[in-house]
Amino acid sequence: MPGMVTSIQRFSLNDGPGIRTTVFFKGCNLRCAWCHNPETIRLQNDLLAYPEKCIACGHCVPVCPTGAHARVPSGIAFDRTKCTACGRCAEICFPGAMELAGYRRTGEEVLAEVTQDIAYYRDSNGGVTLSGGEVFCQPQFAKELIDDCVAADIPIAVETNLCWEFDAMRPMLEKLSLVMFDLKLWDDAEHLRWTGVGNALIKENIAKLDALGIPLIARTPLIPGATDNAENITAIAHFLAPLKNLQYYELLNFNPLGESKYRALGLENPFEAARPLSAAMVDPLRTAAAAAGIQVKVG
Amino acid sequence: MMIQYINQYPEDEQFDYAKRLRLLRERKLAQTEEKIQKEGGLNEDDYGRVVAPDYFQFQIVPNNPDGKFYGYSGWTENYTKLLAEHPLYVDPLDAFVGRGFFFLIRLRGIGWNPAYPYDELKVLFDKYDIISGIGRDHHFNPDIKMGLELGWGGILKKLEHYRSINPPETYVFYDSEIAVVKSIIQFLHRISYQLSEFALIERNPTLRKNLEEMADINYRMADGVPQTLREAIQWMCWFSMLSRLYNRGSAGGPLDQLMWPYYQHDIQNGIINDEDAKFLLGCLFFNDSRYYQLGGPDLEGNDTTNHLSYLILEAADAVNIACNLTVRVHDKTDPVFLRKAVGYLFTNKNGWPRFSGDAALVNGFMRCGYPREEAIRRISSGCHWMSIPGKEYTLNDIVKINNAKVFEVAWNEMMAGAEHSLKKLHSLFGEHLKRAVEATADGIQFHLKYQDQNEPELILNLLSHGPVEKGCDVTKGATYFNMCVDGTALATVADSFAAVEQRIVREKRLTFEELDAHLKSDFAGTEGEYVRQMLQHSERYCQGNSLGDEWAQRISKEFSDLVRAQKERYPGLNFIPGWFSWSHTLLFGSHVGATPNGRKAGTAINHGANPHPGFRRDGAVTAMCNSIAAIQPGYGNTAPVQLELDPGIGETEEGLDKLVSMVRTLLNSGNTLLNINIIDGEKVLEAHKNPSLHPDLVVRVTGFTAYFSMLSKDFRQLVVDRIIDKRSV
Repeated sequence: MPGMVTSIQRFSLNDGPGIRTTVFFKGCNLRCAWCHNPETIRLQNDLLAYPEKCIACGHCVPVCPTGAHARVPSGIAFDRTKCTACGRCAEICFPGAMELAGYRRTGEEVLAEVTQDIAYYRDSNGGVTLSGGEVFCQPQFAKELIDDCVAADIPIAVETNLCWEFDAMRPMLEKLSLVMFDLKLWDDAEHLRWTGVGNALIKENIAKLDALGIPLIARTPLIPGATDNAENITAIAHFLAPLKNLQYYELLNFNPLGESKYRALGLENPFEAARPLSAAMVDPLRTAAAAAGIQVKVG
Repeated sequence: MMIQYINQYPEDEQFDYAKRLRLLRERKLAQTEEKIQKEGGLNEDDYGRVVAPDYFQFQIVPNNPDGKFYGYSGWTENYTKLLAEHPLYVDPLDAFVGRGFFFLIRLRGIGWNPAYPYDELKVLFDKYDIISGIGRDHHFNPDIKMGLELGWGGILKKLEHYRSINPPETYVFYDSEIAVVKSIIQFLHRISYQLSEFALIERNPTLRKNLEEMADINYRMADGVPQTLREAIQWMCWFSMLSRLYNRGSAGGPLDQLMWPYYQHDIQNGIINDEDAKFLLGCLFFNDSRYYQLGGPDLEGNDTTNHLSYLILEAADAVNIACNLTVRVHDKTDPVFLRKAVGYLFTNKNGWPRFSGDAALVNGFMRCGYPREEAIRRISSGCHWMSIPGKEYTLNDIVKINNAKVFEVAWNEMMAGAEHSLKKLHSLFGEHLKRAVEATADGIQFHLKYQDQNEPELILNLLSHGPVEKGCDVTKGATYFNMCVDGTALATVADSFAAVEQRIVREKRLTFEELDAHLKSDFAGTEGEYVRQMLQHSERYCQGNSLGDEWAQRISKEFSDLVRAQKERYPGLNFIPGWFSWSHTLLFGSHVGATPNGRKAGTAINHGANPHPGFRRDGAVTAMCNSIAAIQPGYGNTAPVQLELDPGIGETEEGLDKLVSMVRTLLNSGNTLLNINIIDGEKVLEAHKNPSLHPDLVVRVTGFTAYFSMLSKDFRQLVVDRIIDKRSV
């Protein structure tokens, strides 16, 4: 069955070992306040509006079934409250002022794209990474892609928040060459506050995942005022320390690149003023994590 | 008259190699700055050339009423005169002398002997915007090894021997060549004498000793055969200068193989150590940045990387200027060496080394009918080209057809006719491409017939197999004639066909007539801009399995077949297709109106075999490299990949590993040549605003590395636009 994909990034160098292709799934079960890919949160289409690219050609006006676009003296006005994100304007907006986030793709189509770089995966020990959004929000599509890649002898990895019933994920996890998972906050209440869900299930799943014997990379985004305290990082690192298959623990510095997407989606960005942590702020956190006796990287 | 830096330092100043290289580098950068100030933007190699001192002006001696000189007598007279007058450039910090101030061809002016007109061909050259190669020179590889084994004395004896056994009609050739070689020997004796004099007055003992050594070496190298590494490099420096001085001849050789016996000799006899060797090699790069190949297979397929290959990379790192080093990557390439080579790209960000793909090049050349051994001997020698040292005459990287112009002619003819269809457009494009390729081959044949009456290759003939033995110019006496015919604007044309197919034929968003009106108005008005954006967002070349990719493969095949077919029209000549625009992207683009790929009138065509910028949203290198691999003509010439990468990618060991893998994979996947710029974006933008801020910033422009500040403003803008384009993705 087709799935919702926001983009397919080839020659991806930061989503696992070697040279990879990363498939970004749309839809997420968490609502992290700092999400830097806000267009991947909803499972449904989203319309991104970039008025600075508009040339006022007016082609969007007649194709919109709800009258969300209108000619005004200054150009074209877009009324998001009327928009259903059907994508008809984006389809003919070649200047790129209207873009649809999320396209239906069949497994076959995705496979046709990712297999083009097989030679690069082979030489570099790379492969395909499924990312998001949250991959397991589309379990059937995820299963199809994982099976297809395994059949094509392409190593496949997943980036996930692990906030799912383990037995639902297990058949897919077992086929992966690597799992990159997030544990953003140690404290359950804080996790609930910042992401909309508690973390008990995630912690439980991490232990179960380790039993599968698959290489693991654990990650925590360093979010100013939310996750970037030594107490949080220390607690997570000590929790991770006993894992047999953990390759390393990665601290991901805050990524401000979501700002323009929030504007394009017409959403408020709670972390609008936030900036990446300085080296002086990251170093103590790295040290705190490493004190648990695990390998730590900063991404 | 001379440029010399005698007694620049106190008697007690101490010098080690690092200091000497640093000072030489500072001087080199100052000279680059001087070139920019005096000569302005030059979109070409550095050549190691120095601006001539104000007091030395060379006056050519014309032998034609047009004020120029032609043929054996004209070139011999002017070259020997120039050598007799040419000032010595000597720097006591340097291990070598060998700097030149001129290219005689530019003092005369590129041109053609008016006694041999070709007006009919010119009509077609203009119609299809063809750079014909008529009257153009060098761009094939001399056999440096032969020169090192013979020395100038041996070359002179060889000429005299063959003159004695060949008929009188060859004497004009021999007498010219003998006069040239004698003048070279005289010139080198003069140099040696002057060096001895400088040694007497230099006050610093280290530099004085160096001058004494240089005087001795140059005395021996005037007519002798090199025995040591220093002598061999000095011989190469002079050959390089003498060849440049004549007509800018550029090709080097397999440097690690050429110098290996001398290095071994010196090491075994305790003459030098590795630090000495690196210093000597560093000084070679200051003297000239010819195209040198490193590594690659021997005739049995084993890797030839040796200890000297590593030292050459380290020496290039130590001087860190524009170095045209090419690492030849094959299935047994030393992985440590490859990693080291890729690492220098990132640590120095100066566009060196680049990488050639042995498998595709060797297999391709064999498809021309040559045995594997000859294909392996064919080494990387120029911007985008390969050549067997001493055996080929090629006009490599000279002959270009502007296929965007061919497309425009076809489009206009279709629109003037009754049938407006993709089939008709493709058919007309094929017909005009055939005429363009045939006219190009006619031009090559014409060039070969009369070039010796225009500009005989008096220097490169000496290190070619055939001319000296037969008594004729290399244009008539080469062992092989493998004539390079490069297509350009592949992406421009392929994307144009794809846009027409997608937007007019499949989607019916436009008609041919509407598109024609937009092209003629250069996409004027809001609707014009909308249509332009629509066309530009069609399925493009290098997206991967796109309509643009299909068209690019089709056009490349059609072009290659037409070029290959010319050997039937001209038996004895072999024509080899490639895709390379060199730095003509702006020039060719300026001759073509708006095109259906959404390109505005007069703007650049695509670069070499690369896509137009913005070809994919993710800019995926792998997609681009796969597509370029799929359009390779496949006969031993190249369609290079030109990559611009962010310096951050290679900052970690893991990142570097990934890039090494990328280089290996793309070259093992059918690609022929890889040029990489590690773009320090901020630095490039700053240098564009004020070139003198970063006189040492080197970018790989097309096949060659050049100082960014030496590029013309338009060409700098092109590099800057690519950076901005990458940032907006």
